[in-house]
Amino acid sequence: MKGQRLGLFAAVLVASPVIAGIAYTVLSAIGAVGPGRGGPSLVHVRNVLADRATWSGLVWTLWVAFASTALAFILAIVVATVLRGDRRIDRLARTFAIFPLPFPHVVVALCAVLVLSQSGILSRLTHAAGVHASPGDMPALVYDRWGIGLIVAMTVKEFSFLVFIAFSVLASRGVILEETARSLGAGAIRTFRVATLPALWRGLLPPAIAVFTFVAGNYEATVLLAPSSPLALPLLTMESHSDPSLERRGEAYVLVLIAAMVSVCAVIVHEWVANRVEAVK
Amino acid sequence: MRRVAAAFSLAAAVSSWACGGEPPSPRVTGNDAWESIEARARGSTVLWRMWRGDPSINEYVDRWVAPRLLRQYDVTLNTVDGQGPEIVNQLIVERNARARGSADLVWINGETFNNLRKESLLWGPWAQRLPYALYVDSLSPIVMRDFEQPTGGWESPWGRVQFTLIYDSARVPTPPRTVPALERWIRANPGRFTHDQQFTGTTFLKSLMYALGGGARPLQGGFTEERYKAGSERVWTWLDRVRPYFWRRGETYPAGVADLHRLFANGEVDFTMSYNENEVITKVRQGVLPATSRAIVLRDGSIANAHYLGIPFNARNQAGAMVVANLLLSPEAQLEKLRPEVWADGTVLDLQKLPPALRDRFRALSDDSRGVPHDTLLRYQVPEVAPEYTERLSRDWKSRIRANVK
Repeated sequence: MKGQRLGLFAAVLVASPVIAGIAYTVLSAIGAVGPGRGGPSLVHVRNVLADRATWSGLVWTLWVAFASTALAFILAIVVATVLRGDRRIDRLARTFAIFPLPFPHVVVALCAVLVLSQSGILSRLTHAAGVHASPGDMPALVYDRWGIGLIVAMTVKEFSFLVFIAFSVLASRGVILEETARSLGAGAIRTFRVATLPALWRGLLPPAIAVFTFVAGNYEATVLLAPSSPLALPLLTMESHSDPSLERRGEAYVLVLIAAMVSVCAVIVHEWVANRVEAVK
Repeated sequence: MRRVAAAFSLAAAVSSWACGGEPPSPRVTGNDAWESIEARARGSTVLWRMWRGDPSINEYVDRWVAPRLLRQYDVTLNTVDGQGPEIVNQLIVERNARARGSADLVWINGETFNNLRKESLLWGPWAQRLPYALYVDSLSPIVMRDFEQPTGGWESPWGRVQFTLIYDSARVPTPPRTVPALERWIRANPGRFTHDQQFTGTTFLKSLMYALGGGARPLQGGFTEERYKAGSERVWTWLDRVRPYFWRRGETYPAGVADLHRLFANGEVDFTMSYNENEVITKVRQGVLPATSRAIVLRDGSIANAHYLGIPFNARNQAGAMVVANLLLSPEAQLEKLRPEVWADGTVLDLQKLPPALRDRFRALSDDSRGVPHDTLLRYQVPEVAPEYTERLSRDWKSRIRANVK
């Protein structure tokens, strides 16, 4: 009982800054506290919800977060499955796969600018190979409407994180499940389908949700690679927060709440999927 | 609701108290002589909240200013990053929390000064009490009026800058010198021109507003909706006509001027811009821009302004902050700051008020072929107008132009 109380206290201690932050954000969003406060009202909420830029930015942000997470997730499963061997080349390949992991996101984003921009390495190489008349003729992959440069950068970065976890999942749980499946007479494909894939899927789902929410809220890579229209939600939030007009500060807090709701929705989706998987089992 | 707000204020106050350093020095009063202010500043630390985004500026402050302050006045200078709206946000939070001040000196101008004055977040007036204020160019409207607002001693001038376009003389042998010529050039060279989304880009749009509406004069005398609408409509019409010929057909824009410099240096566009007429010199020296980069001013008017130092209402070391501001205003500090290999930031001093030997040293620094000649800068300079024009132009550009991509 004493241990449980201590655990509860520790949990409350950890959660309290977040709860305080959310409370402050809500109060600022309704103009009760913070810069530009003008007394409780829903004017900031109305302004943000009526602004087309909010919705286009939200959709664009969700698209980039979904595409990068899905690509990193699929790649992590494929690579973790293929590079499981004990040969030297497998070990080397595994090291390369997790190589981007220690680099900050902003470094990966800068590399993407150097490689993918219309004056970057890729455009110069394709120009030298005669693909384009000039480097500037290469299709835009940075500041582009579909966010290809950002998706590529975030996929590379998050793939290394997910594949690192995938290697651990396979080493800890996968092996036992696969041996069991094989001992029951399953072939290679069936073993992959009933043992390897479910182990990876369940092990990677929580980090994939974390990756999704992280990408949706990422600022430093987005500011280097995203287009100005539609403006990604984190950039729109920062723009409101640093607007010279104090009246717009409240709008920044409303946008923060929208971003928080995206994260909460992602967690709810995770719980729902996890429960369904358990129910099917 | 009040209780919750009070709880947050208390939390912020406790946090500020916990983070506080040395106790505050006695406040400066109107009767204090300068010697007494200097004596009070001795042995103290001044916390300066300033933009730390340029290595040249950081080096000047950390390697030239800070050691001299310590040696001559026994004042330790600590700098922290923060600019414009961040400073306003921070001071409002501190005021709401009744917390101790976290900065003694702030680097500000324009909209920030306007917001700080509106919210009564500055201490003063104090700037006219600095001994070196004697040398300030007090007849210059650029220096003495901050975006049309009289400084009134609430901020001390530190530097003066002017808006220029930067081009690569190897790629553009005959650059356009007027807005109509710029339009012709952009149309003849599609995809080779753009501007950024932040302050420098907005200043370019403001230059267009001046040029297309007959200069700064029609917009002077404070902000009015009618003048703004008339001026901004001309800008939107010009952009609707010309922006299909911008980089990426005007569908996307570099975030800040540093990104625009990068596009220019990589050869994606043929022009970049700067709100410092000498930035071309420092950036070439640093290898950021090509060696053949040159600056020009548009003859329709080149916007100039000054930047300043303010003391927050809750500064804990007003005496120390005044000593720092005074040193920064000294002819030696202004001369060092003007040197191309240091920062190349314009001076706010009236050279006629200086001893002849010092005056000559200032004039010698103005002769760099990469920059714009001093007399050309003066001939085409136009002042800033009320800060509301900048705010509205920036906001409306975002909703009318940036968001309106086909």
